[in-house]
Amino acid sequence: MKLFQRSEFYLVVLIALICIFITSQNPNFLTLQNLYGVLRSASVNGIFAVGVLFVLILGGTPDVSFPAIAQVTQYVAVLALIAIGGGNIALAFAIAIVLGAVMGALNGIIIQIFRVTTIVVTIATFNLYFGMLYVLSRGDVLFEVPRPFHDFGGTLLFAREGANGAVYGLSLLPVLWLAVMIVGWFILRRTMLGRSIFAMGGDEVSAVRIGVNTFAVRLFVFSFVGALAGIAGIAHASLVLSAIPNSIVGVELEVIAAVVLGGASLFGGKGTVTGTMLGVLLFAILRNGLVLLNISSYWYDVTIGIAIILGMSANAWQQLRARRNQVNVAVEGEAP
Amino acid sequence: MKPGHKPFLQRLSADAPLLFILIAMVVLMALLLPGRFLASYNLVNLANQLPVLALLSIGMMVSMLSGGINLAIVAAANFTGIVTALTMDWLTGGAAATAGLPVILLSMAVGLAACMVIALLTGFLIAWLEIPPILATLGVMMLLDGLSIVMTRGYTLSGFPPFVVEIGNGSLFWAIPNAFVILVLVILALHFVLNRSPFGFKLYMLGANPRAAEYSNIDTRMVLMKQYALSFLLAALTGFIMMGQFNSVKANYAESYVLVTVLACFLGGINPFGGDGRLSGIVLAAVILQTISSGVNLLGVDPFFVTAMWGAIILIVIAVSHLTGRHSIQAMIRALGLGRDKAAARPETKE
Amino acid sequence: MQPFLQLDGISKSFAGVHALVDVDLTVNSGEILCLMGENGSGKSTLIKIVSGVQPQDSGTIRVEGQDVRDATTAEMIRHGIQVIYQDLSLMPNLTVAENIAMARTIREGRRLVRWGEMRQIAQEAMDRIGAKIDPDATVGDLPVGLQQMVAICRAFTSDLRLLILDEPTASLNRTEIEHLLALVREMKDRGIAIIFITHKIDEVIDVADRVTCLRDGRNVGSLTGEELTYDRIVELMTGREVVPVPFVARIDPTQAPVLSVRNLTKRHNFADVTFDLYPGEILGIAGLLGSGRTEIAKALFGFSPADSGEIRIGGKVQPIRNVREAVAAGIAYVPENRLTEGLFLQKAVGDNLVSNVIDDLTGRGVLIDEDRKAAMVAEWIGALSIKVADPSAPVRSLSGGNQQRVVIGKWLTRRPKVLILNGPTVGVDIAAKAYIYEIVHNLAHEGAGVILISDEAPEIVNNSNRILLVRGGRVQRELETRQTSAQELHRMVAAS
Repeated sequence: MKLFQRSEFYLVVLIALICIFITSQNPNFLTLQNLYGVLRSASVNGIFAVGVLFVLILGGTPDVSFPAIAQVTQYVAVLALIAIGGGNIALAFAIAIVLGAVMGALNGIIIQIFRVTTIVVTIATFNLYFGMLYVLSRGDVLFEVPRPFHDFGGTLLFAREGANGAVYGLSLLPVLWLAVMIVGWFILRRTMLGRSIFAMGGDEVSAVRIGVNTFAVRLFVFSFVGALAGIAGIAHASLVLSAIPNSIVGVELEVIAAVVLGGASLFGGKGTVTGTMLGVLLFAILRNGLVLLNISSYWYDVTIGIAIILGMSANAWQQLRARRNQVNVAVEGEAP
Repeated sequence: MKPGHKPFLQRLSADAPLLFILIAMVVLMALLLPGRFLASYNLVNLANQLPVLALLSIGMMVSMLSGGINLAIVAAANFTGIVTALTMDWLTGGAAATAGLPVILLSMAVGLAACMVIALLTGFLIAWLEIPPILATLGVMMLLDGLSIVMTRGYTLSGFPPFVVEIGNGSLFWAIPNAFVILVLVILALHFVLNRSPFGFKLYMLGANPRAAEYSNIDTRMVLMKQYALSFLLAALTGFIMMGQFNSVKANYAESYVLVTVLACFLGGINPFGGDGRLSGIVLAAVILQTISSGVNLLGVDPFFVTAMWGAIILIVIAVSHLTGRHSIQAMIRALGLGRDKAAARPETKE
Repeated sequence: MQPFLQLDGISKSFAGVHALVDVDLTVNSGEILCLMGENGSGKSTLIKIVSGVQPQDSGTIRVEGQDVRDATTAEMIRHGIQVIYQDLSLMPNLTVAENIAMARTIREGRRLVRWGEMRQIAQEAMDRIGAKIDPDATVGDLPVGLQQMVAICRAFTSDLRLLILDEPTASLNRTEIEHLLALVREMKDRGIAIIFITHKIDEVIDVADRVTCLRDGRNVGSLTGEELTYDRIVELMTGREVVPVPFVARIDPTQAPVLSVRNLTKRHNFADVTFDLYPGEILGIAGLLGSGRTEIAKALFGFSPADSGEIRIGGKVQPIRNVREAVAAGIAYVPENRLTEGLFLQKAVGDNLVSNVIDDLTGRGVLIDEDRKAAMVAEWIGALSIKVADPSAPVRSLSGGNQQRVVIGKWLTRRPKVLILNGPTVGVDIAAKAYIYEIVHNLAHEGAGVILISDEAPEIVNNSNRILLVRGGRVQRELETRQTSAQELHRMVAAS
């Protein structure tokens, strides 16, 4: 537990330092309007990240198929709502969640039955889903999403008028993200299912011996990731107000990196929702900072790359130092 | 037979399953595309396209042998090409296409050097800071993609001197493409490096058990550094070939190849946890994938169908190899009665 | 009286290999049955059948007279049968309370976690055996002894009738073993049946009411009461009497020490370690787990170098800052854990053997000279009598004793001046042990200096001429082996 707190603590410090720096260069950073914007843009990745966290805790390699699932579910839901000429956002979510869960479940079933590492299976399903979407949709871009997406994406809480007359407020997307995080936290922390996920991540053989139904747990985790990808797909469509077959794919590595920076272990059994949130926020703030500092968006990937490398290095250095100072033997007569 | 030397036939039998798949694929394509697939222009075309995939796959395999992975491999190829192109551009004052041989070689040296700096950084992160390779190379990949975009402002740089284009597109010996000749030379060299040199021996041992390697007087950090240097060297070489073949460089060329190289490793029987995997396996796997890709291309199929097909192929390979009881495609063919089942003759450990 | 568990004619084979052949076995409530047998004799298979992990091919299992067929693990637990596996089967990332209570809450079909209840279940189980562990501690942070307690506590969250302990003392130190054995006796007094699996004969004599021995998948007999002596047990296990050959050092008194260590110190590991090692000598290092014995060895081998102090090899000061410097100076180290530290399991026997000397096997060029490599492999397979048909077979396919010969052989190929052996016979059966001792004795007779680190007092007493007693990271005493006995050494080590 101490270790999690430590990595989260360092993230908070790092984020604070970055915020102070950005604010010192451009005070607009610390306005409510800007912060609402940061939260809004972080929401989609934030929702993905909760799913990735579950997979990482379960153990094995990370899932990379979630953007393809989001892409497919988004496209199908938008098409469905266009077909019935409107509908409402709840229907879109329902379609996306069910379809996403089924697509995710396929990953879980394949991994459980064939005992192949997650990354290989999900690379396969990523290509399969994404390729089929393109083939079946012929790459058609849906520029016009139905009304409910506009309504959902446009609703603002605590709306007020900004200095330049524009109305700003808290979008529903961060609220959705928060809800997903609370559900994720509750499952991980307060249900036997969640503890079974941790148990499998700690030692799967032992988990079997204490009676964990590993198939059910794995099936749940991958269905959950798929369902979250569906939710993120709808959130994304409400944000950009279009459904473009390749507008989401490509975020997978960034999301995984955010979750790992947030303290989740690639070796399973370790990770928190709070840390994951901080990892996602860090990247969102960096992206926002580049805009505010008038740095070309070309630099975003460089910044993220450096952030990941530095973050990992700091973490690794900490661990190496801890190992060096570890007390292997309580040596007689040695000052502690 | 000398002990320690495996007879040629026995080695061949290990690759029999992949050879069988290759032949099956070629026959299938020849039947689907009568007179076109086996036409000489198409075979030359295949030989021309194969090197990029094969070199990247070998680079990926090298990193997997140590139990790592190199997600930055395609990014490094593009990065090398871009640095080379920009250097050439700068040295010729904007007229890269007119560059003379010394300028070209100097530019390529600069590109290669830049790639090696990245290799050293990657090796340092993995060997000294002990960051999991998947993360370290992910970070490096993002950094490289970012640098490439920053350097090119997102544009495509094109128009290179004939020498550069010749590397990728020309042919010095009859109709054999230069790129293919380079590939053959690389495979030969790699055979000696991996199977006959102490470095290769240590690389396999390190991959099999890094802790035991440390206790066995193997300088594991040095081996890891060399291994990533080799992997990035292959990426740089690919970068030069791509420069010539496309006569242009861009930040995100051939991005999807990262996944295809992982697929090639999987198909080629490379153990993703390290320590096992043959060069012949990965080369055959690359040839198979290129055959499928070219054939499907000739059939005029939607390129995204090919993407979906890669996914389906992995799943089929997983399923079939599982149903036959072993997690490798080799087992599949063993079940069909081809190849000799050596494993069955060995006593299995209890528990 | 009706036995709690009665097995009749149990047979089991895997892919044509007979793991168990017609085995009968009974255990009574309130009885400690020690199950012995060399590696591969079928003990593990028997446990798996009794605990419901695998079904038997033929034969019957009766629990309290009732026939039990095709039972699952859960059903066996309901019958009160629990196993504590050698690897403990704990989740290192979870808390003590969760590790103890989770099996029960899952069994009861809970959906939500009540942390208070978890702690309470854990506390009750701990109270039953008098364990005092912080229920909120993360299990992975605990020493192995406490982890074992956690595993035992978990068995007590249900109605326990038969407890099977699979080599529970393998990774425990002396104090922890004493504590465990006391606990086992206490459980026996409460009427719990116990099957205790171990290799250590002194423990058997200590706790067993009865010993049953498996050899090649067959029950070869039992001993009770007066019959429980060291010699009878060894005879039962091996089918013959094994007389250990004690080591007699042949030291030339005029020779200088091959290794001199002065005031070697490493913070949090050991302090002021000083000793000499002469050619032809076997120096035993006796100490508990956590006494610093392994840390000293790792420093001498450059794996985790010392902070200060002086090391001389053959009289010359030799700084050892990494493994390569140690190896170049002629030091070899056979690590504690064969499987994780010693071997490349999936690689060929031959490749394992030459892995230390591969740089010396290049021909005139930079490539490995395959003929020299093959010759060297053949030489060492012969010299160590490693039983393998084809040197390209993976080392994984060898038996434990043969694997250990490969580990030692890996280092003999370098012809070391100083050989450090850390627990060289852990998990090796008695016959194979004798052979390994012979190799080590011969090495010393050829003039190498050997350091032998071991848990087992008889092993050190039989195979050394001098002993260092290590405790708290310091050398507490140095004694001549002939002045002590296994019992006395055992007491001295345990006293610490």
